[in-house]
Amino acid sequence: MPSTIFIVDDSATTQMSMEAILRKAGFMVAKAASGEEAVTKLQGGLKPNMIITDIHMPGMNGIELIRKVRAMAGFQFTPILVVTTESQQAKRDEARAAKATGWLVKPVQPDDLLKVAKQILPNG
Amino acid sequence: MLIRIVTVALLLATTSAAATFAASGSASGAALAATGSLVAAAIGYALGRKDRSMPAAIRTQMIKVADDLAQYPAFTRLLRAQGTRITESTCEAATVIATGLRDMDANVDRLRAMIDCSAHIEADELRPLVDAVGAPVIGMLGQLQFQDVTQQQIAFLARLSLIVDQHMINLARQLGNRRSMDRMTNFKDMFDKALDDCVMTSQREDHHTAVGLDLHEPSGPKIEMY
Repeated sequence: MPSTIFIVDDSATTQMSMEAILRKAGFMVAKAASGEEAVTKLQGGLKPNMIITDIHMPGMNGIELIRKVRAMAGFQFTPILVVTTESQQAKRDEARAAKATGWLVKPVQPDDLLKVAKQILPNG
Repeated sequence: MLIRIVTVALLLATTSAAATFAASGSASGAALAATGSLVAAAIGYALGRKDRSMPAAIRTQMIKVADDLAQYPAFTRLLRAQGTRITESTCEAATVIATGLRDMDANVDRLRAMIDCSAHIEADELRPLVDAVGAPVIGMLGQLQFQDVTQQQIAFLARLSLIVDQHMINLARQLGNRRSMDRMTNFKDMFDKALDDCVMTSQREDHHTAVGLDLHEPSGPKIEMY
């Protein structure tokens, strides 16, 4: 059974891009366009093996989403990768404090995304 | 000029006359001359007021407005730099996508030619060419993220233009009401606040350059695992 990666990003092109890259590498993909939608899907029973989230989203931002997810039962140890244009160290520290697993700066090269995904989910 | 000379002469003459009359004991003459002196002084004061180009408070305001306007090039420089970044990133993405499509098209042509020329082709013979057809897809998909990045850069430009709007409104108010000077937010403060919106390394570099700072902030690696 391939691992499921949950992409949370308000950009349709980034969603599409990462989905295609991950699917081609054999992963299953679920998507949400906002933090709120992501929380709803997770509360609705979605159990991804990894979450990839943007930081800058309307409404609930990525950092808030990470905090919310970490507070939910069953998601304390789910890897959460931040993928964002944000590059300031202060924000990285904020993500780390919220218990994110890693940080990638957009635009993400396909090889980099797959390398990290396979590092976190070695069994695919 | 002539009026000024005449006024000064009149003032000196009447003052001197008043002193002379006073010294000689002529009270009425001294009073008359003193009155003339006062009239000359009043004319001089009125001329002086008329001759001043503008009151000091207005001059101060105009200098402040001019100072603020002089900072606009830093702002427009940032706008231009962002525009250049957008052009560069879209150009790079378009080039990669166009090159990928061209290569795919060329490989499809080769594949078609192989199929047309050979009656019996083994799957293994076709596989390398089929793989070559699909090879550019991943890179092209990765480049699609340019839309996300440029969208944020353009949103930043829109926020910058709102700062300019607000500042122009403030300047107009300042020119229309001298008491507004104390209330007006300094343009530099507004411009510095725009730095908070600069989330990308490139944006922060452009902002620092625009304000004349040779500052390069450490931005950390593109990939970081905690």
